[in-house]
Amino acid sequence: MHFDWSYFWQELLTPSSAFLDGLGLTVLMAVLAEIIGLVLGLVFAQMRLSKFRAAQAMASFYVWAIRGTPLLVQIVFIYTGLAAAGIVRFQDITFDGFNFSGNLQAGILALGLHEGAYMAEIFRAGIQAVESGQFEAAKAIGMPPSMMMRYVVLPQALRIVLLPIGNQFNILLKNTTLVSIIGVSEMMLVTESINSATFRTFELYSVLGLYFLALTSLWTLFMKLAEKRLELRSLRPAFAAQAAGDL
Amino acid sequence: MSNTQDTLIEITAIEKWFDRTKVLDKVDFSVARGEVVVLIGPSGSGKTTLLRCINHLESVQGGRILVNGKPIGYRTSNYRLVEDSERNIAIQRRDVGMVFQRFNLFANMTVMRNITIAPRLLLGLSEAEARERAEALLAQVNLSEKAEAYPHELSGGQQQRIAIARALAMTPKVLLFDEPTSALDPEMVGEVLTVMKDLATGGMTMVIVTHEMGFARQVADRVVVMSKGAIIEEGRPDKIFGAPKHPVTRALLNAVMH
Ligand SMILES: Nc1ncnc2c1ncn2[C@@H]1O[C@H](COP(=O)(O)OP(=O)(O)OP(=O)(O)O)[C@@H](O)[C@H]1O
Ligand SMILES: [Mg+2]
Repeated sequence: MHFDWSYFWQELLTPSSAFLDGLGLTVLMAVLAEIIGLVLGLVFAQMRLSKFRAAQAMASFYVWAIRGTPLLVQIVFIYTGLAAAGIVRFQDITFDGFNFSGNLQAGILALGLHEGAYMAEIFRAGIQAVESGQFEAAKAIGMPPSMMMRYVVLPQALRIVLLPIGNQFNILLKNTTLVSIIGVSEMMLVTESINSATFRTFELYSVLGLYFLALTSLWTLFMKLAEKRLELRSLRPAFAAQAAGDL
Repeated sequence: MSNTQDTLIEITAIEKWFDRTKVLDKVDFSVARGEVVVLIGPSGSGKTTLLRCINHLESVQGGRILVNGKPIGYRTSNYRLVEDSERNIAIQRRDVGMVFQRFNLFANMTVMRNITIAPRLLLGLSEAEARERAEALLAQVNLSEKAEAYPHELSGGQQQRIAIARALAMTPKVLLFDEPTSALDPEMVGEVLTVMKDLATGGMTMVIVTHEMGFARQVADRVVVMSKGAIIEEGRPDKIFGAPKHPVTRALLNAVMH
């Protein structure tokens, strides 16, 4: 086995600007998709728990369809499939010198829709983990449903879902590599193109792996700190741990 | 009962089903302003359900419930009763305070916020006004020093007294209690009953489900006995406790007194 250490260190410590751009895209996609996912998740969780049958059915269908198909298929379907059918063709948008390319938009949308289905399930479980007495007390004192959600239920549910949401974001970070299939130059695709010129596959993919490890480790560290801060006096630790375990 | 001016809660022939089980069978029940009614009955007789119908935590399948002269939970549309919107029901519930067996204080809020949040958001009180009201109520239930504590840092008795203060902060016309002392350690029952006695003396209208017969005898203007989803006997406490007529009442009183 030959491992070119000097090439490895060079790529790891002084990566090309193309690779750094790829890193930027990876993080950008993950963050934007997470925001989309959180919003969709909240909306679809409310729909699943609503008393309106049509809303329940729509939300169930969405979660079922997204969780039952591969993300890779969803990405190609949204970018290439919709365009081929003449339904949506994602156009490049440039603002402030940044080219927000059509495939990048489609990639973020696909990742966001995917994330939304998982977030919907996490939020639903979190809301259901809040004691029924909390709902009843809020109703009995005269709070309409929206107020009950905002001030009583969601603050308690959020603390329960923090850990599962963090884990899901970790998965999302890694799933961004799949968007390389539609030609978004994130870290994976950049690595592939460098590789096709140099054939230093072992070294290059070691570097790529380490960059992802760094990203996910930083995120885990951040989650640990956030959890500490949120370990508020207002929640029994035992209850929080038990509720998180239920998910 | 008395004329409508004095009647705060007027329930006529309500029927309640859980699936195929009839839980309330054409119950008539009224409460006058300022009256303290104690509801007793064997387990499963429908006491909790009746109480929860008064603020529409449970819907009914027949009959009529008026609180302060207005139907709760339902409105007439084309001469038919239809369930009201959540938003309207929420407004109607402001007049009816409820105290639960398991306290149900908002776990994510301090004691102060538990008491001020509803008056702030629903009655439009300013922060200062709401705090002032809360401080007075905390003094009334003897817990001024716990304003900044969280519910889980309090004993059961303290939580229940805060729950009463929270309900009172909305200046309800009536307070409903569902076994407010059943989840408490024996040594904490007294402190909660004391607060309730003060309220009764102060003229608060209350409907109380309880097994504390000594307390019932002291504060009740009227005792109502339920069995199998119906009211089987009612009257002044000395009558019900002194000379119960119905065999179920006798059995019930024997069971809890001895
Ligand atoms: N959510 C529900 N679903 C189905 N049945 C119910 C429900 N709640 C109550 N019941 C039934 O309705 C009947 C009356 O119950 P309820 O809780 O009103 O009785 P209770 O008089 O308060 O009894 P206890 O003294 O045990 O609290 C019981 O037979 C009970 O099993
Ligand atoms: Mg009960």
